[in-house]
Amino acid sequence: MAIVRTEKLSKVYNPDTVPVHALRDVSIEINEGEFTAVRGPSGSGKTTLLNMIGGLDKPTSGNVFINGQEISKMKDSKRIDFRLQNIGFVFQHYNLIPVFTARENVSFIMLLQKRNKKEIQQRADELLEQVGLGERKDARPVQLSGGQQQRVAVARALASEPKFILADEPTANLDTESAMNLLDIMEKMNHEQNVTFVFSTHDQRVIDRARRVITMVDGAIHKDEIQHTDEKQDA
Amino acid sequence: MNEIFKISWRNIWRNPGRSGVLLAAIVAGVWAGVTTSAVTNGFVDQRFDRLINEVSHLQIHHPEFRTERETSMFIPQAEEIIEFLSRDDRLETLSARAIAEGLIQSPANNAGIQVFGVDPDLEQATTSIQDDIVEGEYLDSDIRNPIIIGRKLAEKLNADLGMRLVLTFQDVDEDLTSTVFNVAGIYTSLSGAEERLVYTRMSDLQEHLSENPVYHQIAVVLRDEAQIESFVAELNDTFPGSETLSWYNLSPELRLYADLGNQVVYYLMGIIMLALAFGILNTMLMAIFERTRELGMLMAVGMNKARVFFMICLESILITLTGASAGMMLSALSIRYLHSNGLDLSAFSEGLAEFGYDAILYPSLGAESFLGITLMVAIIAIMASIYPALKAIRLEPAVAARE
Repeated sequence: MAIVRTEKLSKVYNPDTVPVHALRDVSIEINEGEFTAVRGPSGSGKTTLLNMIGGLDKPTSGNVFINGQEISKMKDSKRIDFRLQNIGFVFQHYNLIPVFTARENVSFIMLLQKRNKKEIQQRADELLEQVGLGERKDARPVQLSGGQQQRVAVARALASEPKFILADEPTANLDTESAMNLLDIMEKMNHEQNVTFVFSTHDQRVIDRARRVITMVDGAIHKDEIQHTDEKQDA
Repeated sequence: MNEIFKISWRNIWRNPGRSGVLLAAIVAGVWAGVTTSAVTNGFVDQRFDRLINEVSHLQIHHPEFRTERETSMFIPQAEEIIEFLSRDDRLETLSARAIAEGLIQSPANNAGIQVFGVDPDLEQATTSIQDDIVEGEYLDSDIRNPIIIGRKLAEKLNADLGMRLVLTFQDVDEDLTSTVFNVAGIYTSLSGAEERLVYTRMSDLQEHLSENPVYHQIAVVLRDEAQIESFVAELNDTFPGSETLSWYNLSPELRLYADLGNQVVYYLMGIIMLALAFGILNTMLMAIFERTRELGMLMAVGMNKARVFFMICLESILITLTGASAGMMLSALSIRYLHSNGLDLSAFSEGLAEFGYDAILYPSLGAESFLGITLMVAIIAIMASIYPALKAIRLEPAVAARE
C-alpha cells in the first residue's frame, strides 16, 4: 500500500513577481518499507518535494496523501499535529536540542505526543541502544561527534513511531565512516522493522545503498528506477 | 509542561555571559528602583508624620475662625463636641485648644505670635511638643504661668529660661488684655512654628480670655486614617454650627506633595521598566536569531505554535523573575538596614531643614509596594517577550530547519 502519494504536485514561488517553478506536476507513490533516495542537482526540486511530502509546505496545485489522508489542504495546526504523529524528520545539520541530553532529545518528541513517562524512558533507551549510543545517552550534543549526533537524530525520528522518515541530506556533513555507519543503522531498521525511509541527497554513498532512486531535474521527475533488490525483497 | 519549563530554563543558561549581563541589569534596575522608591517614600512619610503631628487628622473650628482669626470666633457647642468625640471608639486622641493672636514682649524685643492654650496631657498625647523641648520643662512645670516658646523666637526676644515675657491679646469681647508668662521651655521645630507659636496652659490663658471656657480648635487623631473622610462628614452633619476639616483640606500642599512623591516613584519605575523591557527584548531577539534552525526543527517535528510561543515567553519570564527576585531581596536587605540605621543626609542638612526635613531619613516600603513592583516586572517580562515569541512562531519550519 502507498504510504505517500502525490498527484500532479506543483509549486511556484513568487507567482506574482518572478515565478520559479520548483515542482511541475509531480506524481509519485512511495510504499511501506521503501528505502528511497531522491536525487538531483541543486534547484531540481528535491527539497521542495520533501517539504510537500513532510507537510512542511503547501503546494500551489495538486494533492499530497499520507496513508490516504490529504494533508495539503489541512489547517496549519492540524498539519503540525499530523506531522507529530505520522512523520519522522532527519536534518542535514542534525538539529538536536543542545541543552538536552541524547536521551532527552529522543524523549522530547514522545512527550509532545503525551505518552506515558515510563514508556518514553524505556523507548528512548531502546532506540539509543539500537543506534549504538546506549552508553552515551546522558551526553549532550556538544559532547557527541557529528555521526553520533545524526544517530541520535535518527533515534528521535523513530521515537514517535512515524509512518515514514524523511531524511534531508543526512550524510552531507559526515565523514565516510560515520556516513556508512549511519546508513547501516537505517538499512537495518528498514530491513528488520520495515521502517520506510525517503532521502533527499547528492551523496553517491546514499544513492548506492538506496533500492529506489528518483532523479529530479527542473522540478519534474526525470527518472524513477529500482536500483537493486536486496535480501529483504528476495525473502 | 515540565519539559517546556526545563527547556526554557536551560536555554537561559546556553549563553551564560549574555544571560548574566541581563540578570545583572535586572537586579541592579530593580534594586535601584525599589530602593529609590523607599527613599522617596521615606521623605513623604517624614513630611506626612510631621504634618499629622502638627495638624492632626482633622480639626474643628468656628466656620470663620480660619480666615478671620478673631478670638471671639470660638467653637459653638465645643463641650458637647468634645463629649461626643470622647465616646467614639474611632478616636485615638484629641486636643482642644484656646487660640489667641497677639504680641509677645521681652525687655529686648517683641514679636507677633499665636498663643495655644492647651491641656498639657492631651496636647502631649496629640503632638510631639513635649519631645521637641530642647531646654527647660514642659507645661507641667511648677513655675507660675509657664510658657513654651520656639528657639528662633527666643533668639529674637533674647529670652532665656525663666525670663518674664508679656503677652498682649484680645479677649472674646475684643478687649485688649496683657499678662505675664515665664519661659518654662524652649522647643525646636523644622516647620515655621518655632518663630510664631507659643504654648501656655489652657487654664492660664482662659483666665484672660473669657469667664466661661472657650475653645477655638479641636485637633483630632483617629485610630484609622481610612476613616478620616467619613468621620469629617459625620461631624459636619452632626454639628453644623462648626466646621470640621481633614488634614488634606487644611494642608492641601501636603496631599499634592504625597501624590507627587507617588508619581515620581511611578515615573522612575516606568523608566527602569522600559529599559528592562528593551534589555529583555534585545536578548530574546538575539536568542531567536541564533536558534532559528532549532526552532524550525521543533515546529517541523510537531511542536505546535502555542508551545513554541509559551516556551519563548517562559524564558523571558524566568530570567526576569530570577533577576527581579534577587533585586527584591537585595532591596529588602538595603531598606531594612537603612530603616533601622537611617540614611545619613547630614551633608545636606541645611538644605533639607529649609524644606522641613531631618538630616536622617528612614526609608520604608510597604509589602504592597513590593508586590506591586513584582507584578509590574512580571507584566513587563510578558510584554517584552511577546514580540520575540511572535517572531519565533512566524518562522517557516521548512526554511528555518535548514538555515
